[in-house]
Amino acid sequence: MGHYSDPPLLVLASLANGPKHGHAMIEDIVRLCGTRLGPGTLYGAIARLEQQGWIEPTPPEERRQPYRITAAGLRVLRAKLTTLRQFAKAGLDRVEAL
Amino acid sequence: MNRVVRHLLTRLYPRDWRKRYGVEFDALLQAARFRTSANVVWSALREHIVPTRGRKVDQHPVSFGAIMKQPSAFLPLAMSLTALAMVLGYVARYGVARQADEGAVAHLWQILMAGQTPIAAYFAIKWLPRAPRQTLYVLAQQAGAALASFALVFFLGL
Repeated sequence: MGHYSDPPLLVLASLANGPKHGHAMIEDIVRLCGTRLGPGTLYGAIARLEQQGWIEPTPPEERRQPYRITAAGLRVLRAKLTTLRQFAKAGLDRVEAL
Repeated sequence: MNRVVRHLLTRLYPRDWRKRYGVEFDALLQAARFRTSANVVWSALREHIVPTRGRKVDQHPVSFGAIMKQPSAFLPLAMSLTALAMVLGYVARYGVARQADEGAVAHLWQILMAGQTPIAAYFAIKWLPRAPRQTLYVLAQQAGAALASFALVFFLGL
């Protein structure tokens, strides 16, 4: 089994501790879970998250464009992580019961 | 990644996507390694099929009926159904006995089935980026009609 990979969730989680541009997000996600998103995958996720209003651009830094998570994005991230936590807990309980 | 490769890779994306993300994406590719090119090519292709930007047609959703009026949508269907009807007519008249030589019906069947491929491909390329759901539904119908025609010939051993 490889690294965990759900690009939109990884991008939201990366932006949860402050705005970042693309390259910073890639490196942060590597530190977060070991997954290195390709540039195409990252921008596919960014475009969809922005379209859904879950992230938004901040003033550009030269040619780099930082993004920040919106209030709606934060709600979605919290809901998804809560589900994951419940799933992980239930799975671990079963493993430990063996 | 050098400037020419970056430019070529970015050009693979739809124009409206490039207009929005082109500059920052180019800046990101500057620090990326060449081996990530495959990821960019795949993502650009995906953006053409399921676009996030430039959905001009989807802003005024295209109905299934409007798409079906496109010649490239109904022609492959009509060609498959005609081929199917020809085979049924042939079987009704002559039975399922296999002929030594391929007759006119067999040649017409082959022309109809092969001829619809470029039309269906044109339809997919033109309409998938604009209205993916409706287009996939039409493509599924085209594939179903073609399969029905192939299946009849296959099962009757003609």
